[in-house]
Amino acid sequence: MRSFHCMAAPGSHGNRGAGRRTGVRAAAVALAAGTSVTLAACGGQATGTSPTTSSGKPGEVLTVGFSVQAPETLDPAKAPQNYAWFEELAYEPLILQRSDGSLAPGLATSWSYTGTGNTTFVLHLRQGVKFSDGSSLTAQDVADDLGYVVKSAGQMSPFLAGDTFTATGPLTVTIKATSPNPDFPQILTQDDVVGDIISAKGLRSPSLLGTQTLGAGPYMLDASATVTGDQYTYIPNPNYYDKAEVHWKKVVVKVITDPQSMLNAMKTGQIEVANGDPTTIAAATSTGLTVTSTPDLWMGVTLADRGGALAKPLANAQVRMALNYATDRSAISKALFPGTGAATSQLAPPGGYGYDPSLTSAYPYDVSKAKQLLAAAGYPHGFSLKIVTGDYGGENLMAQALAQQWQQAGVNLQVTDDANSNQFYAAAFGAKFPAFMTVFGQIPTWIEGPSLFLAPASYNPFHTASASLASLYQQEARSSGAQQVLLDQQIEEYLVNQAWFVPIVTIGLPYYATSAVTGTATSAKAPLLELYEVRPAS
Amino acid sequence: MLRDAVRWLVSSLVLLFVITALTFVLASMAPGDAAKAILSSQSGSYTVQQYQQMRHALGIDQPLPVQYWRWLDGVLHGGLGADLFSGQPVTQELNARLGPSLSIIVGTVIVSGLAGVSLGIVSALRGGALGRLVDAVSLAGLAVPNFWLALVLVELLAVRVQVFPATGYAPLSADPGPWLRSIALPVLTLSAGGVAFVAKQTRDSLSEVMSRDFIVMLRARGLSRRSVVLRHALRNAAIPVVTVLGLLLVGLLGGTVLIENVFSIPGLGQEAVTAAGSHDLPVIEGVAFYFAVVVVIANLLVDVSYRLLSPRTRET
Repeated sequence: MRSFHCMAAPGSHGNRGAGRRTGVRAAAVALAAGTSVTLAACGGQATGTSPTTSSGKPGEVLTVGFSVQAPETLDPAKAPQNYAWFEELAYEPLILQRSDGSLAPGLATSWSYTGTGNTTFVLHLRQGVKFSDGSSLTAQDVADDLGYVVKSAGQMSPFLAGDTFTATGPLTVTIKATSPNPDFPQILTQDDVVGDIISAKGLRSPSLLGTQTLGAGPYMLDASATVTGDQYTYIPNPNYYDKAEVHWKKVVVKVITDPQSMLNAMKTGQIEVANGDPTTIAAATSTGLTVTSTPDLWMGVTLADRGGALAKPLANAQVRMALNYATDRSAISKALFPGTGAATSQLAPPGGYGYDPSLTSAYPYDVSKAKQLLAAAGYPHGFSLKIVTGDYGGENLMAQALAQQWQQAGVNLQVTDDANSNQFYAAAFGAKFPAFMTVFGQIPTWIEGPSLFLAPASYNPFHTASASLASLYQQEARSSGAQQVLLDQQIEEYLVNQAWFVPIVTIGLPYYATSAVTGTATSAKAPLLELYEVRPAS
Repeated sequence: MLRDAVRWLVSSLVLLFVITALTFVLASMAPGDAAKAILSSQSGSYTVQQYQQMRHALGIDQPLPVQYWRWLDGVLHGGLGADLFSGQPVTQELNARLGPSLSIIVGTVIVSGLAGVSLGIVSALRGGALGRLVDAVSLAGLAVPNFWLALVLVELLAVRVQVFPATGYAPLSADPGPWLRSIALPVLTLSAGGVAFVAKQTRDSLSEVMSRDFIVMLRARGLSRRSVVLRHALRNAAIPVVTVLGLLLVGLLGGTVLIENVFSIPGLGQEAVTAAGSHDLPVIEGVAFYFAVVVVIANLLVDVSYRLLSPRTRET
């Protein structure tokens, strides 16, 4: 997995693309009933709004196209976020992430931090919930599940590691963290996968979880109609607590990795909803498909060697800023992402975590200023810089464009193009190159830190440490509400001003839908399609 | 006969051993390993200790000969191991993908054989403008890239005129109709080159046979041209054609990878590519084993065909 998939997971043998946080969840009973529910959440009160209820009987079959290689496992504790669709159909999360970015009840009807410092988090569970295997949900199941998540060492496990999970009542679970964690509600949604709760039977036999589903979601895997690696068939879970939110008699997730084949399948009505691809957006639009895309990723360069171990000039912030000024973002955006990308100098997409409108144009294209900064830093004639790139989403083409642009400022960018994703990650995260091309999806800033900018982060392979950044991060961990938003922005501002990166464009993941379905909207805080909201058009 | 059977069996076993051993060595030489791929896919960053533990758990910290022997031992006991990622038995995974691949491959061989032989006969016997047209069509079939033809066929026969599905595979066991429709476009795509090959071989071979003395003698005995061609000439000309069909079948094992991707067919080729990318050695070995078995069977069929077609080979 790639920064694109938010959590700095390298490799995954070329599994790139798809949707991080592709949600699938039937909403809570109260929500389905159209009732507005007020929830205690995240140190304050969050108001849940009602989704549109299912207006009639379920549709026949929803066929979903998945554009990345098939998942290696269906185990929610181990599956990376970009495979969330496969788990979320069958596993109900503790907290539901909606397409508008709001949080709503899932298996937990309410949740809140207690005390100060974001270290104790209490969840109150829904009564009468049964798993697809017929067993009833208990607080102990949830506590055991979260323990299993940590033990499984999956993508999100570091954010729960060291915590204790206790059933403090028949339907009450208390999480005690060893250090402040302001993002428990987000982590426990379907988008981060680990919020999907496994039944006691599944926890007793984890080997089953790779190819079966043992959850309390609206559907369950039909193994007899599933061909691993090709198509995964889900049928309604007879024990699901809110049958009104089961919109389909069958959901088939089909793996189609070729973008043109995916488009053809949609054109011929074989598929109703799919991950799109930048190369087919124009054709999809002209065909009459609904194209949905909300900026979610930034693409650019990680100037990793901020200590100057391999490339001494990068230790100087003026040099890093010069590279930002030497970048003609608009030209690259127009050339490589016409109609889908927007030039930006910051990491956060519009409306995302830490987004500050004033930072979008923090580094306007100015070669003269770049040269001035290089001269001031002691490099009036420029310098040579090695960079490694993978081939995801045109990042290799972006690297070639940068090589030409930075040449104008006297910087000789030497590009190593490594199409093998495993090798690319080994080179990038192994501190073999002072800089590497990056595609990174937005996530809450506190979650982003350990993978992107803190000293141990994968995207910080030279382990650059900053006391002021660490201080902001620690404050952010204890914050909530408006204060947390402000601190997110301050962290963003620090990263931009210190030019740790060269963000170039922000892009969204496109999704295609035919006229046979509705509910494919996305938003800034939930830019990935929430599959559970997809329902028949009529 | 028994001696031939034993000889075939021994050579087949040697072939299977060599192919799987070679695959094992080559796959092991690729950069990275399954432990890295698994740890990366799960959490991104990992410690050296975690890496070593994972290598040990997967058994890939053992010397290569030991690993291969373990795999071979599994084969001798009827198993091909388990997928390192999903934990599923490799045989179970590959069996599910064998049907789609064989459907396409066998379908392509049949279509190529029937159409190629027919065109070859026409070209050899009629000559003139018709013969040249057949030659031109055959050459075009060879020249057209598969993936391009696939896209054209999809656009014409799946998107514009919705006769066939654009993607996917319907199992034969469920319903023959959808199965036939699902493999039609992949088979047509792959057959373009196969038809050309077979047609050219048929034409060359038949032309050569038709010029032999025994054909003249048969005609002199008053046999009709139709009878001479179908009952005598074609039988003599068939051996090189059968050879080409055998080679075509073997070549299709690798050739289906791209087409499986374009048509989103869950075949062995796609599985091989995925497994190679993730260093999933048991699956890689399993695919190699399956392919090798298909090659062995193809060789057997070709040998049997030789014997049926030529009495002389029966005597050797």
